Amino acid sequence: METIISVRNLVNRFGKQVVHDGLCLDIQRDEILGVVGGSGSGKSVLMRSILGLQKPTSGTITVMGQKIEYHKPGPSRCWGVLFQGGALLSGLTVQENVELPMALYSDMQVETRHELASLKLLMTGLSLSTADKYPSELSGGMRKRVALARALALEPKILFLDEPTAGLDPIAATEFDQLISYLHDNLDLTIMMITHDVDSLFGVSDRIAVLVDGGVVTGTMDEILDSDHPWIQSYFGVPRAIRARQAGRK
Amino acid sequence: MNSTFLSLESHPDRLTVKVSGCWIFDKVSALEEAIASVLPAEGQAVTFQCAGLEEIDIAGAWVLYDRTQLLNSHGFKSEFAGFKAAHFKFLQNIIDAAAIREYEEPTAQTGRPKRAKMAIEKLGKNTAGVVEDLGAIARSILEGVYRPSLFMIGETIKQVYHTGVQAIPVVVVITFLIGIVTVHQAAGQLGKFGASVLVVDLVSISITREMGVLLAAIMVAGRSGSAFAAALGVMKLNEEVDAMRVLGLNPNQMLVIPRILGLVIALPMLTIFADAAGIAGGALIAVGSMGISGLQFVERVAYSTDLTDFYVGLSKAPVFALLIAMIGTLRGMQVKSSAEELGLKTTMAVVQSIFMIIAADALFATLFTRMGI
Repeated sequence: METIISVRNLVNRFGKQVVHDGLCLDIQRDEILGVVGGSGSGKSVLMRSILGLQKPTSGTITVMGQKIEYHKPGPSRCWGVLFQGGALLSGLTVQENVELPMALYSDMQVETRHELASLKLLMTGLSLSTADKYPSELSGGMRKRVALARALALEPKILFLDEPTAGLDPIAATEFDQLISYLHDNLDLTIMMITHDVDSLFGVSDRIAVLVDGGVVTGTMDEILDSDHPWIQSYFGVPRAIRARQAGRK
Repeated sequence: MNSTFLSLESHPDRLTVKVSGCWIFDKVSALEEAIASVLPAEGQAVTFQCAGLEEIDIAGAWVLYDRTQLLNSHGFKSEFAGFKAAHFKFLQNIIDAAAIREYEEPTAQTGRPKRAKMAIEKLGKNTAGVVEDLGAIARSILEGVYRPSLFMIGETIKQVYHTGVQAIPVVVVITFLIGIVTVHQAAGQLGKFGASVLVVDLVSISITREMGVLLAAIMVAGRSGSAFAAALGVMKLNEEVDAMRVLGLNPNQMLVIPRILGLVIALPMLTIFADAAGIAGGALIAVGSMGISGLQFVERVAYSTDLTDFYVGLSKAPVFALLIAMIGTLRGMQVKSSAEELGLKTTMAVVQSIFMIIAADALFATLFTRMGI
């Protein structure tokens, strides 16, 4: 197995608060890694560190063999990011949002770009009538789909998803999970997904990483469930997690 | 024709296109160029032989697919052979879905007449919106008159501090400098008539009647007009204003009126500072480099300028304050959706309030002249 993202001895400290304390994590090619953890356990900080948006106190991170440095251009051609709120550029239409990275990284003709952008929108289950709308005119679920289309614009190898189903109704959330699985099956995608949604955690991810005590416990679903760490026990012991687990097994 | 991406083999009834290399996003423009060379002759069917493909992604598959669509539409048969990756099937599914969707939703044509109509409608709606907002503010003020407890005293004082007290240094410096400039300019001209001492009259009258209040107002429009629009705009975007509404609070009462009231209090006070600084600036040059003695300067000011001039200037301050605060808050409340809009409305707030200040000043000048004040 090929390691795509490698985090070594990551330390993140804010004042006296230690978020990560020597965290090591490997993400393998073509897997969907679900990341869970309590509030303040540093899920977003971990993702932001990997993306070079956050300067870690110490530690090294390599993505596809490239060392990540704070606020330096990383392998942005290889990754796509779906931010929690979508983070669409509010002054651009849906179509323009998706076309923007294409325009930056390719000299392809405008018509081709149009068509490819439309294709990405269709891939994420949007109809073309949304293309000329502005992000503010869209519902939360549609905004996430547009953000996903933008994240996929450059044919990335790695997809980062920050709470992709947060704020979506159960139907939309299930559809979004299916969409992610579908894209993963059809494209060579490695996905790191932060989520609190136990349904999508069990339904989608191949492996689970639990952030506890400043470090991380990784493993397949069964391995994690066998863990005797008290926090993991209580996280997966709540009724909704048990129900989701049963549903995920089916 | 051969290239890195494809090579052509022409048979009497068949054109074989051997696809090779990496058909990926980065190479799309080169791919488009290469694929344009696939021009079958009459009666030839096209076979895309894809066994030599190293890598393909959606963008590359799209280029390939797009060409087959074009060929099909011109009556050429095309087929694929030796395809390894799953991409093409994936693409096919999407295109099929697209075909259905596009059929369902014909795009509406917006012609010129419709656009003109829309522009007029928009203008009307905007005007109605402004009138409505002004009405709402007026009503909130009236409510406040009947129930003084509604006035947010603390917030108003905070606004006086932010828009007035904190603006003192910059307003003082600017009017001081303008005082210096006025005296310098006037000294040259009036000196020719041997009436150098009249620069004192000029500077004290022009500063108290016009320049003091005008400069203070323009400075405040730039500082606080923009701040009002930006602050309220962000609150709108964060749904803070909506949150106030559902809590049963009146955003006009909470946000708009303290700002208007605060500025109406602050600007006249700033004007007094501005007047004093302007005259002081004039005095510095008049006494320092024109040989007019300090006592002479004070006497001259007292002789030429009376309280009426001071009040003329001061009376304009609340009006300017009202204009700045109304425009700033109104524009802020108009922000609905995007960060871009926020910037636009903030700019509008500043430009329009400065414009309105100067227009109002011209009106005042005419009025006061007619009245003989």
